[in-house]
Amino acid sequence: MSVGPLRLPVTFPSVARSERDRVLAGVCAGVADSLGVDATLVRLTAALLSFASGAGIVAYLGGWSLLAAPGEPAPNRRRRLAGVVLLVWSAILALRGVGLAGSLVWPLALVAAGLVLAAGAAPFGIGERRARLGAGVLVLAGVVVFLGENTRGSATTLLAPGAVAVALLLVLGPWAFRLARERDAERAARIRTEEREELAARVHDSVLQTLALIQREPKASRRVATLARRQERELRAWLYPDREPAAEGTLADAVNAAAAEMEELHGVRVEVVRTGDAPLDERTSALVLAAREAMANASRHSGAAEVSVFLDAGAKRVALYVRDRGTGFDPDAVAADRRGVAESIRGRMERVGGTARIVSSPGEGTEVELELPEAGS
Amino acid sequence: MSRPLRRVVLVDDHDLFRAGVRSELGATVEVVGEAGSVADAVPLIKELDPDVVLLDVHLPDGGGQAVIVQVAPERPGVKFLALSVSDAAEDVIGVIRAGARGYVTKTISGTELTEAIHRTADGDAVFSPRLAGFVLDAFRSGEATADPELDQLTAREREVLQLIARGYRYKEIAARLHLSARTVESHVSAVLRKLQLSNRNELTRWAAQRRLI
Repeated sequence: MSVGPLRLPVTFPSVARSERDRVLAGVCAGVADSLGVDATLVRLTAALLSFASGAGIVAYLGGWSLLAAPGEPAPNRRRRLAGVVLLVWSAILALRGVGLAGSLVWPLALVAAGLVLAAGAAPFGIGERRARLGAGVLVLAGVVVFLGENTRGSATTLLAPGAVAVALLLVLGPWAFRLARERDAERAARIRTEEREELAARVHDSVLQTLALIQREPKASRRVATLARRQERELRAWLYPDREPAAEGTLADAVNAAAAEMEELHGVRVEVVRTGDAPLDERTSALVLAAREAMANASRHSGAAEVSVFLDAGAKRVALYVRDRGTGFDPDAVAADRRGVAESIRGRMERVGGTARIVSSPGEGTEVELELPEAGS
Repeated sequence: MSRPLRRVVLVDDHDLFRAGVRSELGATVEVVGEAGSVADAVPLIKELDPDVVLLDVHLPDGGGQAVIVQVAPERPGVKFLALSVSDAAEDVIGVIRAGARGYVTKTISGTELTEAIHRTADGDAVFSPRLAGFVLDAFRSGEATADPELDQLTAREREVLQLIARGYRYKEIAARLHLSARTVESHVSAVLRKLQLSNRNELTRWAAQRRLI
């Protein structure tokens, strides 16, 4: 069964420069679009930041080289790198503009750059290993600069807590990042399940009900009833898949498939009930083939509108029963062709160490009992 | 046959389906009321006090279970027969554990449904082959529990259930096992009771496994 990929509910907002509402290159409008705020607000912020040692201007240039123009592919790696450098630079300028001392700003910038590199190597087209190495160097440089700047001043008291904070950040950063990612994935899975259940409920209320109704209609032609039955089966398989592991390629699967095939071929309902399941191997495959023949017989010769199949698969033995309430026959006095079919069912079972029993009498319907004892017994 | 007239309420959110069922039921069954939701069904059943409620497992505002839970304490005489196109074992077992006397699939013929309604009204259990399969699965032999008397099916009960799963009718089972039809009925009712009362771990785990996450 295929369910289309569901978009993660949490993705980075895709920011593109805006074409329709632009003053210079459309950077502010693009950012405003993706944040869902008014473009004027973003422009005002940029303008104000420009007074902080020109941080706004640098940030704008960074945005321009980083963001794709609408309808165009993402900018190349060099432009992306330049954009990030410009944005970091503008952040430093802004921090200085706000009045933070150089002794704090530079180490912070280095550590931040290192963390960015560690978190997202892919967008920059750098290998995982190189990114990690680069991140380590940057963070280390940040710590060294921080220590250097602060040991000279009176701020030796800042030193120990500062180093501890940096270390903590290094340890907890990746962990927090992974945690966030896992939570997103979990949420996506839950949403998918909910959507599926809702869909199942809706389809159940409309389509399945209608299909059941068509099959109840006595005046509908056999062809229509068969079509309705087939649709019902397909929908059902999709809506209520077996939630037990290894649903694919098991004995129960094969029996269901054989029943479906017989329904298609002969226009007779084949109801499969089962308890337990078993893997499909040489012996159980032979059982399926024998069962298939028994179903075909019942569909073709009995005249009954429904065939009941019961699969009882336990650890010790596997049994399968095919029953109809049709005309039945006298097993002692059957036509040669019928006997041939009976023998082929029996032969199939006996070759894999099983047994087949056919119980029938005229007017009483027929039951074929197939049994497979535990292997080796 | 001189069977008493049974008063029935139909609960199903599909108008067409209700109409179809109504037209197919025999003369011994009278549909006294219909409802399409839990909210409509509960007061209606309490007011009409029918013999049998034919109950869809799925309803827009909750399941058939919700109807049983709200009606049963006040109207212990009303019997419920679940009717569904659902194949989900946990839904079916759920409605049985809530107190339904049986479960039949919606493709059942009119005569068989009429028969099932009478049997439900008489206080007997109505097991379709599919339900028998689910129950056998749920009671699959395994761990011992605190109350083995209650928690295990007897060999005879298992045998009866297997024959139901194979498509045998009660009468045919009786003939095959050389029992009276009455004895077969009592075995099936015993299974139903065990299903409703049992709180064995295996049963809950089995149900939990089949439910999504």
